[in-house]
Amino acid sequence: MDFSLEYTREQEEFAGEVREWLQANVPPDLAVITDPAQMSPDQWQKRRYFVWKLGQKGWLYPAYPLEYGGGGLNGDLCYVLTVELAERGLGLPPLYDAGVLAAPTILACGTDEQKRRFLPPIFKGEKLTWQLFTEPEAGTDEANQQTNALRSPAEQEYFMINGQKIFVGSFPSQPEQFFLLTRSDLTAERHKNLAVFLIPANLPGIDVQPLDLFVPGTFYEASGPTMASSEGTKHSVFFDDVKVPESYLIGGDHDGWKVVNAALEIEHTGTFAGLIGRNYSAEKFLAQIKQNPQIAQRVKQNPLLLETIVNIYIDAQTERLFSIRNAWQSLNRQSVPYTGPQMALFSKNFGGRFMAGSLKVLGPYSLTADTQWWLDNGIFESGQRSGVCFASGGTPEALKIGMARALGIGR
Amino acid sequence: MNLDLALSENDKMLKSVALDFLKRDAPKGVIQTLQESDTGYTPELWQKVVEMGWLGMVIPEGYGGFGSGLTSAGVLFEALGSGPLPGPYYASGVLSALIIQAAANEAQKQQILTGIVEGTRILTLALTEPEFSLEPESIRTTAMPQGGYFLLNGVKLFTHEALAATDLIVVARTGQGTVGGEGLSLFLVDRQSAGVKVRRLGGYLAGRTFEVRLEDVKVPLGNLLGGIGEGWRPLQQGITQAIPVLCAYQAGASQAVIDQTLEYSRIRKQFGQAIGRFQRVQDWIIEMVNLADAARLMTYEALWKLDTGRDARESVHLAKAAASEAYFEIVTMAHRVFSGISYSSEHPVSFHTRASRALYHYLGDPAYHRQQIAKLLT
Repeated sequence: MDFSLEYTREQEEFAGEVREWLQANVPPDLAVITDPAQMSPDQWQKRRYFVWKLGQKGWLYPAYPLEYGGGGLNGDLCYVLTVELAERGLGLPPLYDAGVLAAPTILACGTDEQKRRFLPPIFKGEKLTWQLFTEPEAGTDEANQQTNALRSPAEQEYFMINGQKIFVGSFPSQPEQFFLLTRSDLTAERHKNLAVFLIPANLPGIDVQPLDLFVPGTFYEASGPTMASSEGTKHSVFFDDVKVPESYLIGGDHDGWKVVNAALEIEHTGTFAGLIGRNYSAEKFLAQIKQNPQIAQRVKQNPLLLETIVNIYIDAQTERLFSIRNAWQSLNRQSVPYTGPQMALFSKNFGGRFMAGSLKVLGPYSLTADTQWWLDNGIFESGQRSGVCFASGGTPEALKIGMARALGIGR
Repeated sequence: MNLDLALSENDKMLKSVALDFLKRDAPKGVIQTLQESDTGYTPELWQKVVEMGWLGMVIPEGYGGFGSGLTSAGVLFEALGSGPLPGPYYASGVLSALIIQAAANEAQKQQILTGIVEGTRILTLALTEPEFSLEPESIRTTAMPQGGYFLLNGVKLFTHEALAATDLIVVARTGQGTVGGEGLSLFLVDRQSAGVKVRRLGGYLAGRTFEVRLEDVKVPLGNLLGGIGEGWRPLQQGITQAIPVLCAYQAGASQAVIDQTLEYSRIRKQFGQAIGRFQRVQDWIIEMVNLADAARLMTYEALWKLDTGRDARESVHLAKAAASEAYFEIVTMAHRVFSGISYSSEHPVSFHTRASRALYHYLGDPAYHRQQIAKLLT
């Protein structure tokens, strides 16, 4: 066994090229964002432009085939890109983009024509995508879709979409397209009544409304190298007689459940970012204990806090090793079906424990966004708000169902 | 990057040979008998293990061993843990072998290590005392030079495998220093020497742990291992290298308990369905899997660091804190799932109940290792 993540010579050479390119292309005043919901429109534009540049270079989706506008890079080089971006506090992609779910799904379930039409704009950073699965009555019970996509009686090659999505999307700026789960048949049995679409976001009859939520996205996302892709503001999206041509349907008009499960599996599997195996927030937490005299004094005065600190450290190490393992499995096409939900489950529960622990150890400093008294530019303040958010990407309870199923005991 | 979390081809083969060995030579009934015996092995079983070369895994070829590296030793003991195979194999072939390599002079190494590999000598470490602790201050046993001997006096408590052992590595005070192991020396003591009294400690869950009384035991000067008063550092070096191999045993044992629990939860029916269908039951099994996977990854990372000469102290503390806790908790959770049937001392889970408790404190319990981590973090 070899746990080494050090660069090989080939990786080192590529890293040099990447650093040089990033030096020239990352806007110098691009801010590191601790709470994506607070990102200014100006910062969002800078980031959006950088995403486009990355896409044009082929480095936004580096692992995907060149013929569709991806980077065609092997796993070793994708890893380098991820590390070098993380060194600058940037994720890959550096903005929320459900292209990471839509693209592999289209590759698996789309027609050749759809691959040629849909993939290049995603890979080149020209179109950002939101995932529109969740509904008021379809949270954990994702199959219980009420948004209808029914064939228009007059024109059979069109679907009419009506309904509402909730807790979706990202920054207060519209994307170019939606990756949409719908109910396509009012009488067919459960799981055989669904359809998935990739549609333009600006069709007539679509209305997007921001939600007033106090959580900035899951803390896991806000903590790691993927912090910049954490989701920020969530929205409701309303569909009122939205007319969609059949060419936007991915897979068959009753195959939505199969298509969506291909996507969800990807959502819970490791990525190159997992190989970095670092939890930047945990590192910042531990640095507070060693370097901040006020916090060091708290710990000295109350040795019971040591137990909490060690628990957080051990959890962070577990998370690091799980994420390295998952990334290695996915790079090597190793199939251990329970490790995907296991990793997501562990990270979420750790996020909650981490925030409970940092509340104890860091005291009221962890709650304030006051720029004079906050810690680390307020990352613990936004973290405390995320510490109660377990929903994104599936609740722990839902992930347990997936894990039990994969272990061969659950339904 | 060279990241590769798969076992090497050699290690895969080693694992499969070890699992076959357990199936053939140490099935359920044998494990129970061995656990209850005072030595944990039979001469036939011992001979087979010697012939496989498993007592020489961490001993260099120059001393008759195979120099397979700690990771391979981990793979072997992970497989043996699934039994869980009792016996002094780890105490002698791993822990003592590593301490001897770190502490002894060349002539001693030739003699002792060869004996370990050939199975003619069985060593165990007699470290802890009535003030049970891994800190050097807790050592009260004394060794006084007298004539051509050292005269040893003291009590060693919770010594593992003392009745199987032909020789004990005894940690004793030869000087007055109290800081950082100053004044502590290591001695190889023939268990049959006059004045050595060994008594097994009772308790279903106590494993094979012993009280060892040393009363005016005469130890030849040549049995001092390393310099006088300089025993603590090599002792720590040997223990640090040996710990993750013990963790691998605990991780393999944990996985075996999980496999049994999964299987049972699929076939045991209550309320007309397999109990594995109940989410309350699934909750326990998921927790078991998470604990075991974390312990195993921490263990192999520590082994890899040691094998490649990286600083492994933090990883070793982490691995033992996690593996001891995981094995303990996983067995307890298995009893929740199995309930009544698992309380029989013939039930395979009960073998793990005994082993998980008996190994919990061996070479440091989670509280000790967590404290070491805390020192590194603050």
